[in-house]
Amino acid sequence: MNLRRILTLGGSILSGLIVLGLDVMRSSVDLDVTGLMLIREVLVIAAFVLLYAFLELSETRKAEESVQKLGLLLVVAVVVALMTSIIMFTSDATFEAKEGRLLPLGFNAIVLASFVSLSFGLLSIILFRHLRVLTLYKRKKGTQRNLMIQIVLTLVTALSTVGLDPLENTVVTSVLFGLAIGAMVMNSFRLSWIVYLSKREKVFSLVYSFLLFGVMTYLNVLSHGKVLNEYLLYHSYPVREFSALTLIFGNIYFGMAFVSTLFHLPTAEAFERKTTEITSLHNLGRLINQVFDFNELVDTVTSMTLQVCEAKACWLEMVHGREGMAGDSSRSDSRRLNLQHPERYLVQAVGMKNIQLEEIEDLLPYDEHTLRDVVIQERKPLVVDDLSRDGRVKGKGRNAPRSGSLVVVPLMSHTGMIGILYATKEMEFGFFKDDVEVISAFADQATIAIENSRLIDESLERERLMQEMRLAQEMQKRLLPQALPTLAEVQLDAVSTPAFEVGGDYYDVVMLEGDRLGIVVGDVSGKGVSAAFYMSEVKGIFQALSKIHRSPREFLIEANNALASSIDRRSFVSLIYGILELRTGLLTISRAGHCPMVLSKKNGVTYVRPSGMGLGLSIGPAFADAIEDLTLQLDPSDVCVFYTDGLTEARRGEEEFGYDRLLESIERLKEQDAPEIKNGILGEVKAFVGNETPHDDLTVVVLKWCKTAP
Amino acid sequence: MSDFKILQRENKGVSVLELKGYLDAHTAPKLEDAIQNLITSKRYNIVVNCKDLSYISSAGLGVFMAFIEDVRTNKGDIKLSNMSPKVYNVFDLLGFPLLYDIVKEEHEAVQRFLKSK
Repeated sequence: MNLRRILTLGGSILSGLIVLGLDVMRSSVDLDVTGLMLIREVLVIAAFVLLYAFLELSETRKAEESVQKLGLLLVVAVVVALMTSIIMFTSDATFEAKEGRLLPLGFNAIVLASFVSLSFGLLSIILFRHLRVLTLYKRKKGTQRNLMIQIVLTLVTALSTVGLDPLENTVVTSVLFGLAIGAMVMNSFRLSWIVYLSKREKVFSLVYSFLLFGVMTYLNVLSHGKVLNEYLLYHSYPVREFSALTLIFGNIYFGMAFVSTLFHLPTAEAFERKTTEITSLHNLGRLINQVFDFNELVDTVTSMTLQVCEAKACWLEMVHGREGMAGDSSRSDSRRLNLQHPERYLVQAVGMKNIQLEEIEDLLPYDEHTLRDVVIQERKPLVVDDLSRDGRVKGKGRNAPRSGSLVVVPLMSHTGMIGILYATKEMEFGFFKDDVEVISAFADQATIAIENSRLIDESLERERLMQEMRLAQEMQKRLLPQALPTLAEVQLDAVSTPAFEVGGDYYDVVMLEGDRLGIVVGDVSGKGVSAAFYMSEVKGIFQALSKIHRSPREFLIEANNALASSIDRRSFVSLIYGILELRTGLLTISRAGHCPMVLSKKNGVTYVRPSGMGLGLSIGPAFADAIEDLTLQLDPSDVCVFYTDGLTEARRGEEEFGYDRLLESIERLKEQDAPEIKNGILGEVKAFVGNETPHDDLTVVVLKWCKTAP
Repeated sequence: MSDFKILQRENKGVSVLELKGYLDAHTAPKLEDAIQNLITSKRYNIVVNCKDLSYISSAGLGVFMAFIEDVRTNKGDIKLSNMSPKVYNVFDLLGFPLLYDIVKEEHEAVQRFLKSK
């Protein structure tokens, strides 16, 4: 309890006790001085005002609770009615009327007068607070103003009696009294709270308002009876007026509430359903943004449909477009469906509620022309009022229902029909217009949700693939030499960049026995993943066979044989293989369809192009005949450049970098060291291409001979 | 991206496919379909005229490799003609001239079919 509440309650009790003391005193001593009586009146009013303030401070109620607490109000009213009834029937000859005043005939009368006045005053305050909340339940323009008018009129009526003798009547008070009642009648039409009650609550409200109406009427009659009226008038005329008016307000209001509830009762169910529909749609809308799991979504949709329409069974069928386009025909419960028109669909029942797949198939067989096909063609909701009389429903099976109604609603997305929502009821003509509307609304929401979840799945799948590709890229990088041999005789540098995550370019440098260096550069036809697989195979073949065969030609012939068994007939691999004798500077080159090597010597830059044929183009003698070994003597500062067609075919618009530009570049760069030559070539290609994305894998291997001949 | 077109016609009973534009991994299926259609209708004497072919990638070359065996076992052939030097160079680097009949002009290719009959 905080200080303000203690003060208000304490003040109220204190004022009440002072008044009681004054009353006891004035019964024995004549204290009828006007000033003192006025102070007494002020104290009485103060006591009730403080009591009201105390209650206001103690609890603030929400409108919904006020409705629920009508029972409590009823209890308080009944208790007051019982107590005052007992007082009325047990006391006799309490006051003596004299010159418009009331003189108590004993100590009892004074105490009882205080008690009765307190009871009525307290009940009025509680009643007033209740009615205020109910009246203001759904505020419209003027709602609050009208109530204020009534309150002011009530208070003015009550205060107009201040200073009057108990048995005195004035015209002003009567007129004000009448006006206050007029305002009450107006405010008694503010009954919107009834509309929002559930059916069960409406029944309770009906009983409560009837009983409250009864008790209020009883109390009104009672308080105007001689005995109680005298008690009230003796204690405080204003309080009596306030109580009388408030009780009348309660009487009118609960009378109106009873009648209104009675009229609202038949529509309670419909109203409740509308509210449920709105809430369900709202919930579904919210779920769409939260649930991305397909199964959870369809479950929610069907169970909500079931609930809102009070259907017997509900299920959803996903339509997977034309056969062959069906994404997940692997799902075990997919059923093939033949349609009359040439298009074929794949439907799949999901989110089944109170129905088995067998029953669905009995009702609408998947291999016959049924209602399903009609909806797929017409793309409009359909209602079957009587299942037993509709030819489009087969219902031949043992499990098929012989009666009932069915509603079928298509799920239409912007790309077309994605599914069908079904609901059944046991009785005929079970689905009204508004049922179809609400199911359609569910179908629309479900469509959005399902599309959303599909999009999310797709982007997750894409993310997964990208992750896989990154992994593949890492792995492929490891298939290329991690470090090139460092030798006194030659400078070596190399680079290989795929156009996509992975590519089909390959290069390798190996040390062979007899102080020889093997250099290979290759290109698998095609790009991307398939090329990457062949590339790793070529790597295996090179690592295995290069050590065995002494000449590049022999190696290429064996590599062709090795590849022939596994390579697709429309794919091929181009390779160029050179073996350099480090002691002599003799370089033997063999070319399997690959781009010619660039040889830069003192007197000029040329292409070295032994005849050859791509691996995988032909097996046997044609290949062997085409391949030749070509041996060159390298002199100090000679440069050899191996590359793939990603270099010469690098494009800017329609124009290719080409063979001539490559020769010119190397001519310019040949004096430099191998890494500078490599970077120089890459730089020139980059400058040529500009901002265009490379469309092919690109590999460059540069070798510079440094040793003077022995 | 780049355009690729195939014009199909007859030259003295030999089927001629005139290629135009870029033949790469994206457009190769078009040529594949065209040759497959010829084979399905039992037309095994095919000349591919590359007059307006501006680019051919490895995937494009793969198309010829895919069908040459089929066509040759049926006593037919795929002959190539009218290649630009640049396109010829791509075929030549890979050793295609050793396996395929590549001629300067379309009528030469047609002539060769007629002679061999």
